[in-house]
Amino acid sequence: MFELLNSHYNYFAVMLLLGIGLYMLIESRNLVKKVIGMNIFQTGIFLFFITLAFRTGGNPPIIKEGGGPYVSPLPHVLILTAIVVGVSLTAVALALIIRIYTEYGTLDEDKLKQLYYD
Amino acid sequence: MTELRPILAILVSAVAIPVILSLKGRPNLREGVTLTVAFAKFGIIASMIPGVLSGTEYEFVVGQFGTGIELAFNVDPLGLLFGLLASLLWIVTSFYSIGYMRGLDEHAQTRYFASFAASLASAVGVAFASNLLTLFVCYELLTVSTYPLVTHDETDEARAAGRKYLAYTFGGGVAVLGGTVLVFVLAGTTAFTPGGIEELATADPALARAAFALLAAGFGVKAALMPMHSWLPDAMVAPTPVSGLLHAVAVVKSGVFGIARVVLDVYGPVTMKELGVALPLAAIAAFTLLTASIIALRQDNLKRRLAYSTISQLSYIVLGLALLKENALTGGLLHIPAHAFMKLTLFFCAGAIHVETHTDDISDMAGIGKRMPLTMAAFAVAAAGMAGIPLVAGFVSKWYLVIGALNLESGGLVFAGALLVSGVLNIAYFWPIVYQAYFESPESHDEKPLIGGPFGGRDEVRADGGEGHDSDDTDDHPSEGDVPDPQHVDHLGKHHEEHEHHGGPPAGGWDDRGWRGGESTWFMLGPILTAATLSLLLGTVPYTAVFLRIVDTIVSNLPGVVA
Amino acid sequence: MIEHLPVLLVVLPIVGGAIPLAASLVSDRAGWPVATLTLVGQTGLAGLLAWTVSSSGTVSYAVGGFAAPYGIELVVDGLSAAVALLVAVISLGVLAYARKAGPHSGPFYGLYLLLVAGLTGMTVTGDVFNLYVFLEITGLAAYGLVASGRDASAAVAALKYLIIGTVGASLYLLGVGYLLAATGTLNMADLATKLGEMAAYDSTLVLTAFGLMVGGLTVKVALFPLHTWQPDAYANAPDTVSAFISALVSTVSAYALARLLFSVFTVDFLTAVPVARWALVGLACVSIVAGSALAVSQDSVQRMLAYSSVSQFGLVVAGFAIATPLAVVGATVHLLGHAVMKGGLFAATGVIERKTGATTVNGYAGMGSRVPVSAFAFAVLSLAMVGVPPAVGFVGKWYIVLGAVNAENWPVVAVLLASTLLTLAYFARLVERLYFAEATIHSKPDEAPVTDGSGQAVSFGMIAVVVIAAALAVVLTAAVPTLEHVLRETLIPVLNQ
Repeated sequence: MFELLNSHYNYFAVMLLLGIGLYMLIESRNLVKKVIGMNIFQTGIFLFFITLAFRTGGNPPIIKEGGGPYVSPLPHVLILTAIVVGVSLTAVALALIIRIYTEYGTLDEDKLKQLYYD
Repeated sequence: MTELRPILAILVSAVAIPVILSLKGRPNLREGVTLTVAFAKFGIIASMIPGVLSGTEYEFVVGQFGTGIELAFNVDPLGLLFGLLASLLWIVTSFYSIGYMRGLDEHAQTRYFASFAASLASAVGVAFASNLLTLFVCYELLTVSTYPLVTHDETDEARAAGRKYLAYTFGGGVAVLGGTVLVFVLAGTTAFTPGGIEELATADPALARAAFALLAAGFGVKAALMPMHSWLPDAMVAPTPVSGLLHAVAVVKSGVFGIARVVLDVYGPVTMKELGVALPLAAIAAFTLLTASIIALRQDNLKRRLAYSTISQLSYIVLGLALLKENALTGGLLHIPAHAFMKLTLFFCAGAIHVETHTDDISDMAGIGKRMPLTMAAFAVAAAGMAGIPLVAGFVSKWYLVIGALNLESGGLVFAGALLVSGVLNIAYFWPIVYQAYFESPESHDEKPLIGGPFGGRDEVRADGGEGHDSDDTDDHPSEGDVPDPQHVDHLGKHHEEHEHHGGPPAGGWDDRGWRGGESTWFMLGPILTAATLSLLLGTVPYTAVFLRIVDTIVSNLPGVVA
Repeated sequence: MIEHLPVLLVVLPIVGGAIPLAASLVSDRAGWPVATLTLVGQTGLAGLLAWTVSSSGTVSYAVGGFAAPYGIELVVDGLSAAVALLVAVISLGVLAYARKAGPHSGPFYGLYLLLVAGLTGMTVTGDVFNLYVFLEITGLAAYGLVASGRDASAAVAALKYLIIGTVGASLYLLGVGYLLAATGTLNMADLATKLGEMAAYDSTLVLTAFGLMVGGLTVKVALFPLHTWQPDAYANAPDTVSAFISALVSTVSAYALARLLFSVFTVDFLTAVPVARWALVGLACVSIVAGSALAVSQDSVQRMLAYSSVSQFGLVVAGFAIATPLAVVGATVHLLGHAVMKGGLFAATGVIERKTGATTVNGYAGMGSRVPVSAFAFAVLSLAMVGVPPAVGFVGKWYIVLGAVNAENWPVVAVLLASTLLTLAYFARLVERLYFAEATIHSKPDEAPVTDGSGQAVSFGMIAVVVIAAALAVVLTAAVPTLEHVLRETLIPVLNQ
């Protein structure tokens, strides 16, 4: 068990991040916290991709004389893109939240539901 | 041979729809269009009679719309029989509609005439379809275009009836679609072939039976086979010309016609026998024709009684088809026009009585022969025909049917017996109406209808159907998609109409209008007498009246039919 | 020029979308003309592309000159060409509606064109990660558009949509990670060959990837029970946006699902892992039934239409999951047909609301005579959706049922056939009320409240859109043989049958 934890700790970190993120997303009644949960969830996925790229003894994928072996550059590139997407999503979400707050004066999901369905 | 006439016959009334809609403000011109189109349609179809009788088939292919979806029309004798009948009676009904709708000063007449034109376009499409898929397309369009007519009244009752109508007929449509897909998968085609599609004979029998069951059940809904009949009595809330042409001729016959196509041109008598599906169908038909006759006895509302009579008579046709004997087939097919003429007469009479006196219940009609002598005379003739009395159309077809049933190797007596018993029941539910109309007066008449006590009669029924007004109310506003128990509705339905219409004789009894047409407008009397004459013609000179010749051609073209 | 078509199709709306955004600093007037001009060009390009595909087969394009499987590849076959053309035509059509119905701001048109770019990108891409990016671009633009109404309830709906949509897309991304771990490639064609060889179809890795990717996409398609974002988003967005996204967003997501099934996992996978097929077919069937049941219980017409989408996409996904050529053709026909019908229906609700203030099922009573043209179009579209022949709704159903019968999948056949009645259950009551009931709303048009506050006026263009959609719902049937031909040409190798 401990050995598994030791050799695969990065995967456990991924699971932990995904779990925390999803839990916040579902459980939290505060809209801002929901968005934070969403971010944590995505971070878990980013970490998962970066983990994929790892190889023991690999160098950063910058080609130079006798530099190999390299870690895989592809996941890094993908995650750079995904981070950009994630940031823009957060921005849109926060913009919507500001609008909701100015209109309804609350960020509590339950209260909002009451106002919303009246 | 490829010809434009089949598609023209369909399109001529389809094209008329926008014209009719655009003439909303000019009723005379609007009805002029309807009549012109009706005559044109009949002319086009009639012009194909000689060719079809001499063996020519007129074909028109619209196109192939993907795998298995071929829209094509073909005028063969069977299609001509139905097409000719529908278009001929549309002319008669159009005149009658004008009299009826204007007589009652009905609302939404433009919608009414437009829907009528659409219904006829679809009905003729059903007649001329040359494969199951095209038939299905037109069958569904017929459902859609008749829906506004059923719901025409815009009352809660009419809406409930319309909902029920849609639920039943679209349910049937789904079964037809399922059956069509199966036939296509099994046989690779759905094109009608006299004597049956060959590939079906060699297909997996279990699937072929399933497909037959689906098709028969699907078409059986519109043919009002029990237990899928209960939409028909409810649909009687529609204006009477609609009940007359659509719910006695075009719509219900499209169901019967569908079954005829399936029996004769998709499966064919030989395959039917091998699969053993003919007998169950015959049994259902026999059961329906007896049960519906008995239920008809108990109806006090004239139109509902006629509706149950229709259910019973339609099963004569289905029985004739299912027996697979030459004479039975002839009888069954000939009963399509015979029943149409007679039932149309009866409905027109009911409508004329409604327009003139606002009377709907049989129990209020004692002595009405004085007020409407010509109408009731036509009624008497048609009723006699329904019972199978010679000289009227019904006799000829029933004669063939009984002979066909007796020709059966086994069980023939049962079916012949069912036919005869039902004939007697026909007399039992029609004769009292005629008798009391002429030979009784509102003051002194017996308790009618025939069965007294808790099963019939006016006051008793009122207690039976609406023990309290609560049950009445619940039925007035059925929830969405809720299909009430048919038996229950029969009584309640009748009960409603008693509440809504205050017909019956005026205080001083019926006034005497004489025999020279003072009883109504000629817009109504003319069609009534025409329809009655047609049923006499078909009963006396069936060959000259063309229909029996067409039927003979159909039957003699069929391979595998044994005398 | 011709060989650059696939990429131009994505670049054009992005460039076009930047102009109104920039111009809005000066004036909001530039939005509509620029968008129209861009989308006319887009439609022309998409038509040209479709023609190229139908005459000379699949077109592929290596973005930036990096050859596949290392670079991003755009692949356009019959299926994607049809969907790309649909996106272009519908977005152009909805513009005619938007001119009067608004919103009128420059940023709105910027987002609108960005959404077109995202949808087109999803359609033409041949790379699973690239698909994720376009999925999120589509999502971002759609969230923004939903919130563009003046009512703040639109913002609440948009946020709900955003959170659920992001989770869906993230799950998809996670699935991509698993695929990458299993095969080391992201190119669809490359994945298709490597999946069977490098990783067994029934290995946990591949199954998890399948589950995550399909699960993520079904959120976007809005299959039951992952549909909860949809009714709020459709009902609260401005009418223009409802019509636009109801017609296209779920449609293109369903296309992506099909692409994933046929071009990444392939039919071999579905055959080797029957449980995957059964899960998908089961989900689709549940969606058909549950969507209809929910639609029947709705009071708001727009929400009813949203739940109807849940049910109809069940039909589409069932067709794709059966995966015989006939069923796939059927699902595609229904996919395209549904886009036209649902878009038309939403546009019609907008017109009816503006003219009479009616938004609920009961409010629609007696509107047949108040707004005859739109009500008639609404009725025609409803019947087409129910599957009354010869409308296109029937043709799609016919093919899917035919495919299911061929596959001898009897329970599915039963559900598919019953779906006609289920659809009838919620549309019939509307049609009945439109024409055969006493009006419950008598207010004059100018007193009618309109939720997004963008004015009550109804332009000729708005009514024209509704009428054309109704006409198309019937006429499109005639285009089915061509579509079937093109699909068979390019899909048969994919379906290897």
